[in-house]
Amino acid sequence: MNRKLLSTFILLLFFTGLRAQSDSTQATETERPHIRILQAGIKIQKTQKLYWENGIYLDWGCNRLFDYHLHFGFSYITSRLGSAMGTNAIKQDNYIFHSTWHFRPTKSLQPLIRMNTGYFHADYEDPIFDVLDNTAFIFGLEAGLVYEFDFPMTVGLTVGYTFTGGDGTSGPGTLYPVFYQLSIYTPVFDQRKK
Amino acid sequence: MLAAMLILAACSKTPDIDHNSMLDGDKIFDPSLYDSAKYLVSVRIDNPTTKDIQTPVVIAVHGYSATTYEWDEFRDFADNSGEIYVSQVLLGGHGRTYDEFKNSSWKDWQASILDEYRALKAKGYAKISFAGSSAACPLMLDLIKEGEIGYNGLDHIFLIDPIVIPSDKLMSIVGLVGPMLGYLETDMTNEEEGHWYHFRPQETLQELQDLTEKIRKDLQKGFKLPQGTDMKVYKSIHDPTADAVSAVLINKGLKNYDGSKVSIQMLESDLHVVTRLKGRDDVTQHDRDIQKEVFDDMYRILTK
Repeated sequence: MNRKLLSTFILLLFFTGLRAQSDSTQATETERPHIRILQAGIKIQKTQKLYWENGIYLDWGCNRLFDYHLHFGFSYITSRLGSAMGTNAIKQDNYIFHSTWHFRPTKSLQPLIRMNTGYFHADYEDPIFDVLDNTAFIFGLEAGLVYEFDFPMTVGLTVGYTFTGGDGTSGPGTLYPVFYQLSIYTPVFDQRKK
Repeated sequence: MLAAMLILAACSKTPDIDHNSMLDGDKIFDPSLYDSAKYLVSVRIDNPTTKDIQTPVVIAVHGYSATTYEWDEFRDFADNSGEIYVSQVLLGGHGRTYDEFKNSSWKDWQASILDEYRALKAKGYAKISFAGSSAACPLMLDLIKEGEIGYNGLDHIFLIDPIVIPSDKLMSIVGLVGPMLGYLETDMTNEEEGHWYHFRPQETLQELQDLTEKIRKDLQKGFKLPQGTDMKVYKSIHDPTADAVSAVLINKGLKNYDGSKVSIQMLESDLHVVTRLKGRDDVTQHDRDIQKEVFDDMYRILTK
């Protein structure tokens, strides 16, 4: 059920992105070229009163996506690269698709709001816990800032809320609502003029 | 509008206590405060005989905001068997008044556990065990971790629905929103009224959060039971108060002295602390079966 919802949502966002790329052309410009930027980097997340979950972050922008206002991204963050390194913390993985709206995308300091959809999986490592829910669809919102430096690096700081955590009667127990994120990323493919 | 409500809530920080019906008031107190001999084996038996000393004694400890009532049914079960003594400990700050609860820390709650343990040890009891429900479990785990219980100090530890991770994830922001709320009001049945605090001061929720976070981190680093002590965890799978993942953290973080895993039994239950059924509405035969199964299992372990 969760996977069906997730794939439907991803498809929906993919087509939205495609439409956005074509719809954002102005009436007089039918052949405006695509100027894309793909960035990659690291993401560090601290959950309020729970784990550090860290990993990789990809961010995609394009002039045709509302003149770089709309970005799409993907993160894989995990406690395996955070609190669970060398400890007994639960090994859990988050695969998240981001839709981000940047305000002031031509400026260095850009406020943003973001919607997250994704998939959470926790490994309880013992068959006696097969009776417990260990996966969830992730749905959440984030808000914050990014700072695009003059040299090719962007730093983002956000705070977010995940709506789909467990509540003891269903859902995984270690998907908590409030989190803080730091992302640091750099262009790996940049068609913009230098 | 929300800001106005929050400001209003912050201003009205003292709850409206009905002294005639609520534990929080100045008329109703936990009965162990009037009659400690009935509740504490260390007080009840002045000079234990050899037979007394060799009888298993269980220090039974209730959870957050509760009272000795939470272990009444196990005590009745034990009394019927005639082969087990039960000391029903009242946590510090509990069973008294709203203000005493509000001003208590989790260390205060814990102190009475150690007091009864030491009193029983001083009288020479040789087979002391511990049974805790909900927040009593991290209180006990802390005593283990900090070395208050040593070699052959306890025979068995029974944890019923230990809380390390709360079911209500908003507990994670109690430090942020708590001061604005002042307190939370609890729903309870008429029969439960007078046995749990009706109002939970935000200060005590923060204490509970601090306690569970400390134990979570201790389990993350890992520690062992003392030599001579074993443990059994009974955990409800669908628990509205203590998330079942708490059992996963105990399984990963706490080991027997020889490095083996502690014993864990997952219960097909929707209740938090199924060993207490008295006072609940809609108790099913399934609930009673599970309670009996847990009591029988504890009895088997205590008397083997």
